[in-house]
Amino acid sequence: MLLTPNALGWRLRGGLLLITGAIAAVLLLPIVFIVLLSFGSSQWLVFPPPGWTLKWYQQFFANPEWMQAALASLKVALLTTLVSVALALPCAFALVRGKFPGRKTLYAIFTLPMIVPLVVIAVAIYALFLRLGYTGTLLAFVVSHVIVALPFALIAVINSLKLFDQSIEDAAVICGASRLQAIYRVTLPGIWPGVFAGALFAFLVSWDEVVLSVMMASPNLQTLPVKMWSTLRQDLTPVIAVASTVLIGLSLLVMLAAALLRRRQPQFR
Amino acid sequence: MAASSSSRAVLGSATDPKRRVSDPARNRGERAVRWKGASHLVPALLFLGLFFLIPLIGLLLRGFLEPAPGLGNYQTLFANGAYAQVLLNTFGVAALVTLFSVLIGFPLAWTITLMPRGWGRWLFNIVLLSMWTSLLARTYAWLVLLQGAGVINKLLMAVGLIDEPLALVNNLTGVVIGMTYIMIPFIVLPLQATLQAMDPMVLQAGAICGASPWTNFRKVFLPMCRSGLGSGALMVFVMSLGYYVTPALLGGAQNMMLPEFIIQQVQSFLNWGLASAAAALLIVIALVLFALYLRLQPESPVDPQNAR
Repeated sequence: MLLTPNALGWRLRGGLLLITGAIAAVLLLPIVFIVLLSFGSSQWLVFPPPGWTLKWYQQFFANPEWMQAALASLKVALLTTLVSVALALPCAFALVRGKFPGRKTLYAIFTLPMIVPLVVIAVAIYALFLRLGYTGTLLAFVVSHVIVALPFALIAVINSLKLFDQSIEDAAVICGASRLQAIYRVTLPGIWPGVFAGALFAFLVSWDEVVLSVMMASPNLQTLPVKMWSTLRQDLTPVIAVASTVLIGLSLLVMLAAALLRRRQPQFR
Repeated sequence: MAASSSSRAVLGSATDPKRRVSDPARNRGERAVRWKGASHLVPALLFLGLFFLIPLIGLLLRGFLEPAPGLGNYQTLFANGAYAQVLLNTFGVAALVTLFSVLIGFPLAWTITLMPRGWGRWLFNIVLLSMWTSLLARTYAWLVLLQGAGVINKLLMAVGLIDEPLALVNNLTGVVIGMTYIMIPFIVLPLQATLQAMDPMVLQAGAICGASPWTNFRKVFLPMCRSGLGSGALMVFVMSLGYYVTPALLGGAQNMMLPEFIIQQVQSFLNWGLASAAAALLIVIALVLFALYLRLQPESPVDPQNAR
């Protein structure tokens, strides 16, 4: 009745479609808007733009500060991904395969960084690194990003490991492989899409992280969102629209990779 | 699956009495088997303990110890009128954002479920795209859109709804608009999962039994949505309480929210005690609401009953 479109009645159905169309348009609006603005010629972000130009892109790519920030972002995100997956893999095996008590509690602890407000995590880790004198270092960025990226990687790996039939791995062991060999040669290739998805999530979380990065940043080391943040507080120059487009573009690429992966591996939907 | 797990449970209980009489050496062996694999947790636990749990506890302690031991920071937080206003702003904005994102997310989730698969998939992808697009970029977009000379104001004036630009940004209105936009996906995703799992036949049964569409909606449809709607709304409320970026950029200097307040106390005033008291308040509320959320959604992915 309310879940079968034909029985809904044309008035309700039409109304619902209209509302949904409007909402979908609003969801897309800021994203499309920012990409268009980055090509607009107006310094004052007039919309629709009086003309089209690439000069903001030239300014962005010619400015060493923006380039260093983008490079730092990439470096931090890749390292965060690497560390998160390296920590999440053994952890997921223990939580899914283990029979020890308290697994539910442990799982809750591991996902706690998703629940504790980001500001609180940021201030806590800032206090630690301030005392140790590590603020403004690559280490501080990566460590703080891993705290929030780890749950995303962990959940993705756990979900794919649960879908993997352990008897296949056992069969490899019976056929003479050692347990480690079996995991390396049989299980890991089997759960690879889940691990990859976890890595993508970790990358996206780090790539877009603002609050932690603002706390960790120093004039010598800042990521792209930090540079955007400090520029935004002074003025709304279109160069920020370019930086936004770069952020969006890379996120979009990562999402497309994830979508292709889902298509190839239907069981990981 | 269900059969094999129940038979395992039966086997387990059958061997249980024997375990009690086993000798200590065997007990040790059994313990080793029981804790097998737990050592793989060590790297992640160590990391989380060192960089998350200990700093967090350390921060919370400072609220009671600095500048002088006692509850002084908490008294200041609640007694000072300006700080009370910060609390009020935070909860007011979070409540409004939750309300609006439910009102907008509900029809969206409903239509995604109703639509033929291909179209529904497209809508779903739009929601995902908006969720995974840089938060800062989206906030910046709203900052430009909502300006006095921005597109929204121009459009409203062109249509003739208003005569002069509305103040849509640098105040709580801007914060509510921007945050609602960001929170919509977090309502749609859980709600859509609930709706997808719903059996249309139940609603048909309601109609056959003589319920009018409106009664059916109110008495059958809404109650079945409750868990998805409730958990989505709770999550959005908790997240809204802790957001920093969007309120800091779209809000004004006079109407601050709790996260901004915490960072300001730390960075500008170096008042760690007061910041930590405010952080403790935020954590306690978040954890209490999260416990409520878990009661709405009791399944844990590593729960033995839930194992495949």
